[in-house]
Amino acid sequence: MQDPDPRTLARARAGDVGAFEELVRTYQGDLYRFAYSYTRDRALAEDATQEAFLRAYRFLPSFRGESRFGSWLFRIARNCALDAIRARKGQEERALRAPAPPGPSDPFARVELHTALAAVSPEHREPFLLIEVFGLSYQEAADVLKVRVGTVKSRMHRARVAMMAALATEEAEEEEDAGEL
Amino acid sequence: MNCDRARRALSERMDGEHLSRRAAAALEAHLRTCAACRAFESQAWALRERVRLGLAPAVPDLVEPIMAAVRAEARRRPIALRPVEPLEVPPAPGRRRPPLLRRLAPQLAAALIGILVGSLAVGGPWSPERPATAEDVTTGVLRAAARVTAYRASFRILERNLSPEVPLRELSMELWFRAPERFRLDVTDHTVPASDDSAPTDLRLVTDGQTWYLRSPPPCPTCPPRESLVTNRTPFSSETPVPADLVVPVATLSSPDGVRVESRDRIGGRWEVTLAMPFERAAPLFPFLELGGTWRPFYPHDRVEVTLDAETWAPLAWSVYPARGRERDQWALRFGLPEEPPDLPIMEVRRIAVSPRPPAETDFAIPAHVPASDAGAIPVGLADLPREAGFHPVAPERLDGLRLYRAVVPEPDAGAGASAILAYAEGLRWLKLAETRSPTSTAPLVDPHAEELPLAGGVAYYEPATADHGRRLVIHTAEGDLYLETNLPREDLLAVASSLPVRGLPLPRSWRLRESEIGTVERVTLEQAEAAAPFPLLLPETLPEGAALASVELVRTDGRIGVTLYFQGREVALGGTLRLHLEPGAALPTTSEPGVLTVELRDGPARYSPRSGRLEWISEGRYVSLEGPGLTLEQLVAVASSLAPAVPGPSGPASPTGMP
Repeated sequence: MQDPDPRTLARARAGDVGAFEELVRTYQGDLYRFAYSYTRDRALAEDATQEAFLRAYRFLPSFRGESRFGSWLFRIARNCALDAIRARKGQEERALRAPAPPGPSDPFARVELHTALAAVSPEHREPFLLIEVFGLSYQEAADVLKVRVGTVKSRMHRARVAMMAALATEEAEEEEDAGEL
Repeated sequence: MNCDRARRALSERMDGEHLSRRAAAALEAHLRTCAACRAFESQAWALRERVRLGLAPAVPDLVEPIMAAVRAEARRRPIALRPVEPLEVPPAPGRRRPPLLRRLAPQLAAALIGILVGSLAVGGPWSPERPATAEDVTTGVLRAAARVTAYRASFRILERNLSPEVPLRELSMELWFRAPERFRLDVTDHTVPASDDSAPTDLRLVTDGQTWYLRSPPPCPTCPPRESLVTNRTPFSSETPVPADLVVPVATLSSPDGVRVESRDRIGGRWEVTLAMPFERAAPLFPFLELGGTWRPFYPHDRVEVTLDAETWAPLAWSVYPARGRERDQWALRFGLPEEPPDLPIMEVRRIAVSPRPPAETDFAIPAHVPASDAGAIPVGLADLPREAGFHPVAPERLDGLRLYRAVVPEPDAGAGASAILAYAEGLRWLKLAETRSPTSTAPLVDPHAEELPLAGGVAYYEPATADHGRRLVIHTAEGDLYLETNLPREDLLAVASSLPVRGLPLPRSWRLRESEIGTVERVTLEQAEAAAPFPLLLPETLPEGAALASVELVRTDGRIGVTLYFQGREVALGGTLRLHLEPGAALPTTSEPGVLTVELRDGPARYSPRSGRLEWISEGRYVSLEGPGLTLEQLVAVASSLAPAVPGPSGPASPTGMP
């Protein structure tokens, strides 16, 4: 995860909206994708991202640099995403959800990945996504999740092993299916 | 170390954690003996690639709605522009490997997860069938090279045994490309330096074709990095090279010679082909080795396995495995390399991400602060070309899809005539034509062993591709000389060249005749040599794959006549030139070279000098010497054993068979 230019960060902390916009440009893609990994819903992920930046703008003067800026932002985004999911549960009827985003080259591969991910418990899935997909270090993931580094390390490894096993099983099943045809 | 511990350590290493030297050594030792854990590592990397490419939703542009909300917030609750406390920046914990998203360049970090389609920006689709032979691969690569317009990808490089202190090194490599000659290559070394006196191998190459910039590591860690900037570069100049084969390996695979198809796999609905070839053949896939920094050495016969996507023909993964044999062992000893097991790659390059978006112009920004050296190839408009060059340059009628990309008039060298260069390109395919008008009729710059061949009613001189050059053809005319260079196959080069409105003349006798320390050397035809030699000539029936007779020389020393035959690859100068020399003789000359061996041939004992790669023996009153610095002893013996009296006839050696 990249660090912002310290001068930009300092200006944003002092309330400079233009400087804050630079931070938004830099991080909005990552934050949206991160939020989406929780909500699995585009509209909710957009709301959570917007809310996360709004909170970041409010709390920025209190950001003291104990963790890296990206970790701090991801932590806020995670809270917003979890809030969004909770809110949706109360108003399911409103959730006229947007269709799923267009898939990658091989939609079946994506379905497999999601099935495999669903087989991993949330507490293992979170460090897995942060590290494997967003490239955070163990320390940064620990800062986002507010757990110890050792915990992140062992959960990450277990998640990786579980994902590899789940995908291997699916592939084996597919081959069996293909064999029956 | 047991498997569980090893896999945890592998997990940590690939997640960017630094292992202690002891743990790293224990892990390496375990991996050497445990195939299951090696498989675990490659599966874990495959999972990473799959997850990064597969879990990505399209990203909407949220900047405007977010900023509207932020501005509303700022208006509602204006934050006083009060001084804020200074940031506590966490101390940098030494040089540790940065986390992945930072390792992958920021531009990529933004694009990485948004990637939906991993593909080159090409005009496909083609070759959906299962590629079966090296020829199929060559066809596919050449077609893809013509169509590729842009590419953006990230790679990971693992290197083993740089030094005893650095048994494993990890680097990342970022590539940006827009046809025909916009390239950027960033290499970042994530290794903890072994000592304070070595700078990490961080490299950056940027070029827009005309200007070329390279930043490479300094000679000492406290010195500034080396930077060089070349302006008015000659198009497709080998002195300021570009890493084109990382996009589509057109230089490596424009010919199937020396390439073997190892396996074909269908992965996610696409075919992948794995090829094997010697390192020297695959050198264009390792352009970073030539750009600076510190790298381990590679033996020319080390085996390279390259996996290509059979749809885009982009290289996905390539690894170098150590060759076996005595010569390799001795070579390794010279470099102080440890024993290297043949099934553990000594270098691995793997594509880890690819962006569907073409790079932006700004990705190719070239620093302006560096003092430039002017290469003098000044671009001119086509209409101004005759005036600038001082003559009307010729152009080929047949271009096979190539389009004029740049016309250049080089600043004339002192004493040289006027010249002009026309560069043509289509995707990654290129051909350039330099025409020189010489005031005096001097012989052109042609390699003395270039193959003389008939072309459009005249003659031309051909040289195969080398590590630094494309295939070249020289046409000598009454007005001046034409030099063609290309990454197209020989046949295509000859087709374009034969559509030029010129007729090549044979080179003057002064060029064919030279004095050397061994006597007078004259370039002749095979028939002339047969007629002049006082003994029957011998020709090989077995030659390295793709090689053929390129030139013949008569050597006159103190009244004795010898004949030297030169063989080289028709497409690629693989293993350099093979030289066969015959002269009357009854005993071997003395040698001072150390480490000579005696080898049994059909005709009797032969002497092998490993340093010069020379095999010498006496055969029926002839002294025979066979020299191939790029060949192994086994290959030399195979050629030597196939020597047979030349069959009289105009065709020379009758289609030699390939060598294993």
